[in-house]
Amino acid sequence: MSEEKSMMLLIGDNPFHGISHLSQERSRTRGNAIGKAEYGAELVKIALDNGANGFMFSVSETTLSILKKVRKKGADKNLKLYAIVPYSYEYVRLATQMGGISGLAKKMVKQIAFSMNVRAMATGIKGVLRMDPVAFLKTYMFYEISRIKSSVGKKASLDSILLHEIITEMALALDLDWLCKAYIEFMLNLGIKPGFETRNFAYLVSKFRDWNIDFGKIVIATPFNKAGFQMNPSRIECEEALAQVTGQSVIAMSILAAGYIKPLEAVEYIQTLPNLKGVVVGVSKEHHARETFRLLEERLRK
Amino acid sequence: MVSFLNSSDEKTLRVAVIGLGKMGLLHACILNVLPYVELAALCDKSALIRTVFKRLFKRVQLTDDVEKLANLDLDAVYITTPIPSHFFLAKTVYLKEITSNLFVEKTLASNYDEAKELCKLAQSFGGINMVGYMKRFAVTFKKAKGLINKDVLGNVVSFDAYSYSSDFSEVKEGSKISGSRGGVLGDLGSHVVDLALWFFGDLQAESAELESLSAGGSEDSARFSVRNSDGLEGHFDISWCKKEYRMPEFGLIIRGTKGIMNVNDDTVKLELNGGESRKWYRHDLNDSVGFLLGAPEYFREDEYFIKSMLNGNEAEPDFSTASKVDCILDQVKNRADKK
Repeated sequence: MSEEKSMMLLIGDNPFHGISHLSQERSRTRGNAIGKAEYGAELVKIALDNGANGFMFSVSETTLSILKKVRKKGADKNLKLYAIVPYSYEYVRLATQMGGISGLAKKMVKQIAFSMNVRAMATGIKGVLRMDPVAFLKTYMFYEISRIKSSVGKKASLDSILLHEIITEMALALDLDWLCKAYIEFMLNLGIKPGFETRNFAYLVSKFRDWNIDFGKIVIATPFNKAGFQMNPSRIECEEALAQVTGQSVIAMSILAAGYIKPLEAVEYIQTLPNLKGVVVGVSKEHHARETFRLLEERLRK
Repeated sequence: MVSFLNSSDEKTLRVAVIGLGKMGLLHACILNVLPYVELAALCDKSALIRTVFKRLFKRVQLTDDVEKLANLDLDAVYITTPIPSHFFLAKTVYLKEITSNLFVEKTLASNYDEAKELCKLAQSFGGINMVGYMKRFAVTFKKAKGLINKDVLGNVVSFDAYSYSSDFSEVKEGSKISGSRGGVLGDLGSHVVDLALWFFGDLQAESAELESLSAGGSEDSARFSVRNSDGLEGHFDISWCKKEYRMPEFGLIIRGTKGIMNVNDDTVKLELNGGESRKWYRHDLNDSVGFLLGAPEYFREDEYFIKSMLNGNEAEPDFSTASKVDCILDQVKNRADKK
């Protein structure tokens, strides 16, 4: 686990999954090329050549294929990986098609069993016997880590695994401090920084302080943008919460508010914020990758 | 942290959720965050689900039988089970006097007859009742409703409504998968039918075409027309087999004497006859909420229902309003059967 002093500039994967938080119509008009691994890998490489030093991605077949291509292109040297699990879209879709949560659970058990990951299966058996959510979580993490490691080379570094917002928000809503603490301890023991993606940043900071969670040991990815888009309960409350989080654990996402804000305006706002570890930006075109990361490097690193 | 009330009465409401699928879990989480709410009980038939949830909801009573919710001194119940069970469960909640405040996920019932019976029960037992047509709580559709109410479009002449998803776009003909979730009409279609009724008032279904790819016989796509007594015409196109729709999308194109409005989950576009045009994104419409889980509209919906109970106000869409959706869906099925 390496500590980065200068601002982390991460390329995000939303466009590769066909996601646009501005409008779904926009994601449909991007065409099919964006979903192809070769094109995605080229965008990652261009971003890296222009100042990015990491890739934040949801663990899916799409992003794992991109990572394999990045490795083939030789662009994986010192590449810092920030993986988000689970890729909730895939699982919600599976639950829909498998007839609900029970159906999804059965499918997951099969997938993990077929992965032949011994550590995952051993922890999983313990989890089933005790019906223990922490053991289930560990089983799942072993499974996802093995998927990531089989796709990336040794030159890239898996710096952090972040729990997807849906898991983070449920843990916050249900006061699952024990689950969050167990996850943090487990990941730290594996030498990977535990992370949390959230769209309830102010709420998370308040809860984590109550739970005595050390912000210096974790990574938090959360929206920060001038429009206050997806900043809950408000932009001001998120900014106030950020001021309380020392130790550079926060990565700002949605800084362009999904394309609603121009890059320069977005960067000027980010420059006013204290305590940021880095930013993550998704790009869908080669010239966007080049121009955006040049601007980010020039304004946020120098 | 999460606050919303000016209520002088600081009573805490004891709420139970029946059905711990995707929607039940989502509502349970939001309820647990809302002030003045105590998530008191959860009910699900599956032993596996109850065992897992017992570890997650430590201070909450878990049961497999709705009747066991009686004597828990509940103030409200959420019903978030599959549609075919709504009627039986809501009826049980009333008749066993578990509570008279009910939130039922859409649709209210499987058909209009059942919906009418639930409306009668709601009327005789009193209390606050609501159905989960959450699209009414999306900032874009609220904006559109405001513009229609302000007569910005003049007299509305016609509309096209759609709801699409790719949930079953890869389903092979004859498969039973989509049938397990009921038809696309109740699942996706009910949302846009509710929006159309909210925007334009009472409507009657006319011609209808339903298509089924699944072995269970439930519909996978639907096209139908509606009309009102003033001659307003509407056309609906609904499908969960649209590959290019990664996420479910709902929208309406509304034509009035003064212009056209195009509204969906993300944007509102207004083009007036004089050439003036305007576009609003979610970003422009204050989309932040006290706690975001799933989509902002879920929080607003639950907050509104709880607030209605605390303040003793009726909630909308209530059973009576929502039963009109069941009525239209029945009309569509009947029209299509007659073809």
